[in-house]
Amino acid sequence: MSSPGPTPVSRHPLEVFVSSSHSRFLVVGFLFVFLVAACGGQTATHSPSGSAAPSSAGSATADSSVAPSIEPSIAPTALSVGLGYIPNVQFAPFYLAQQAGYYEDAGLAVTFQNKIDPDLIALVGAGNIDVGIADGTSVIPAVSNGIPIQYIATLYGKFPNVVFAKESTGIRSAADLKGRKIGTPGRYGSGWIMLQALLGSAGLTTDDVEIVEYPDYTQRIAVSEGAVAAATGFANNEPVQLELSGDKATVLRIDAITPLPGPGLIAGTAALDTKHDAIAAFVAATLRAMEEIKANPQAGLDAAIAAVPELAADRDTQAAVLAATIDSWTGPVQAASGLGAIDTKGWTASVDYLTTLGLVPSPVTAGDLVRTDLLPGGG
Amino acid sequence: MTQRRLVTPSSVLTVVGALAVFVLVWRAIVLIGGYPPFILPAPEVVFGRFLVALSDGTIWPHLSTTLQEVVLGFALGASAALVVGYVLARSALAERLLSPYLVAAQAMPILALAPLLAMWFGPGLLSKVVICSLIVFFPVAIATMVGIRSVDARLLELGRSLRATRRQILTTLEIPAALPSILGGMRVGVTLAVVGAVVGEWAGAERGLGVLINLARGSLFDIPLMFVALLTLALLGIVLYVAVVVVERRLVGVR
Repeated sequence: MSSPGPTPVSRHPLEVFVSSSHSRFLVVGFLFVFLVAACGGQTATHSPSGSAAPSSAGSATADSSVAPSIEPSIAPTALSVGLGYIPNVQFAPFYLAQQAGYYEDAGLAVTFQNKIDPDLIALVGAGNIDVGIADGTSVIPAVSNGIPIQYIATLYGKFPNVVFAKESTGIRSAADLKGRKIGTPGRYGSGWIMLQALLGSAGLTTDDVEIVEYPDYTQRIAVSEGAVAAATGFANNEPVQLELSGDKATVLRIDAITPLPGPGLIAGTAALDTKHDAIAAFVAATLRAMEEIKANPQAGLDAAIAAVPELAADRDTQAAVLAATIDSWTGPVQAASGLGAIDTKGWTASVDYLTTLGLVPSPVTAGDLVRTDLLPGGG
Repeated sequence: MTQRRLVTPSSVLTVVGALAVFVLVWRAIVLIGGYPPFILPAPEVVFGRFLVALSDGTIWPHLSTTLQEVVLGFALGASAALVVGYVLARSALAERLLSPYLVAAQAMPILALAPLLAMWFGPGLLSKVVICSLIVFFPVAIATMVGIRSVDARLLELGRSLRATRRQILTTLEIPAALPSILGGMRVGVTLAVVGAVVGEWAGAERGLGVLINLARGSLFDIPLMFVALLTLALLGIVLYVAVVVVERRLVGVR
């Protein structure tokens, strides 16, 4: 029997690698190109030595001292700012400060990027983004693993991650969660840490409940439909929407049990050296916008809709989310010291708690994690 | 047909040499770029982390879970693909009816479908097996169809003239002739199955190398551990691929 004709299936690169000695140099070349290409994106912008390019304002100052006859440049300092993954009404202070010209007045040219939390932390640490928003609970393991960032201003004085349920479930406290189905996007991140702390406060662990994962963040629908009894979420999102859909919501917060640092502004240590004043000006302008929105939420809503026109489709929901967001900005420390204030003692307690969860491989202190000198009045 | 051994001193040297060059280039990039471990960990850092993860039992539960998903998903997907591929090859009507759906299904990003599949089949093993089998199905089905169609029509005619039964034609003519093509599809499919398992795990899982990647990157910020998970996945893919190559060489010889 004759063998079949030539096979139409092309050879796999690995097969070439295994059997063809003539192709070995091609393979080696491919590996080299692959590695270089993989790192190419980083080399374009990364400052491994920690020497980020000096700001244009900084350059202008230096130049003017050397050559006073030249008219001083007033070129704004470029500042890249990483916000959360999806443009949202929760970022209203940034939109307002941009639109009202607070950043420009401070000599800044601010550009926004939307990234998820782990990416933002790495990008800020690498110096590719100057300032970003990150969960405080992410900053602790990140710094412990050598990522050179610091937390410079609190955005959420109340820890926004909560467990929420329909009031009709009878859930009133952490103890009531025992044996119940709890929805969560995944077993990681600030929501998961909060859930462990909340259950721990009632002497429970995640083994005492049935965890159901919703990686596509549909846990609110699961609560609404009764697929789970409760779920993790954000105080200014899922419970608000649950109430708007007609269900009374119960919200279990962690603040009174274990102080965990909420999302805030982070900056790379290199950027803090080279753009210190610009970043401080950015923080001040953002806090100014937060104060304005706190006094007049409509200004924040309008700014958010101007930045993200799609939000106008459901103004009532956006207004409710913004109201809940504003409420989350002020915890006890911010009530005493002003928006943005950092609860250093709370950070120390959080480090201790995260250490018990095995999330702090190398010891860190609050001093390694936070920096208060960029807040108006030095914190 | 001359049979060449899969593993010869020359091929081992080639593999080891290429690996050494890969590691050296990787090390050189880290050194020249001055990259910290959270951007690109050096090979010795990853290797050290691998040993720690191996000794403290971090890797095994995740690896065994992913391996189970891949093997079951591949077995299910490839089995279904063999049947469908044969039907497509031998029935013009079936091809006309099914092909558009097969191509459309292949064009849909499995990443977008995975959360839905997890909802339909539950967050356990079944949804991962289904995702793996879906991703394996297309290349194996197409390879089977092409392979069966490549059978020399004159041989089929000869078989029929000798009053060979349908089963005899299948086992003595069609399958042997199509095997090279089918196994070629399986080589592609088995590596895709590894990708399918990770996608499935990202759609919700307790264990698996995909979960470990997410944990290392999004919760622990342990980038060397993330590289350990990635390299383990790569090794798993290579081992499974070589396993198919070994089977192929036993069945059809060197191609």
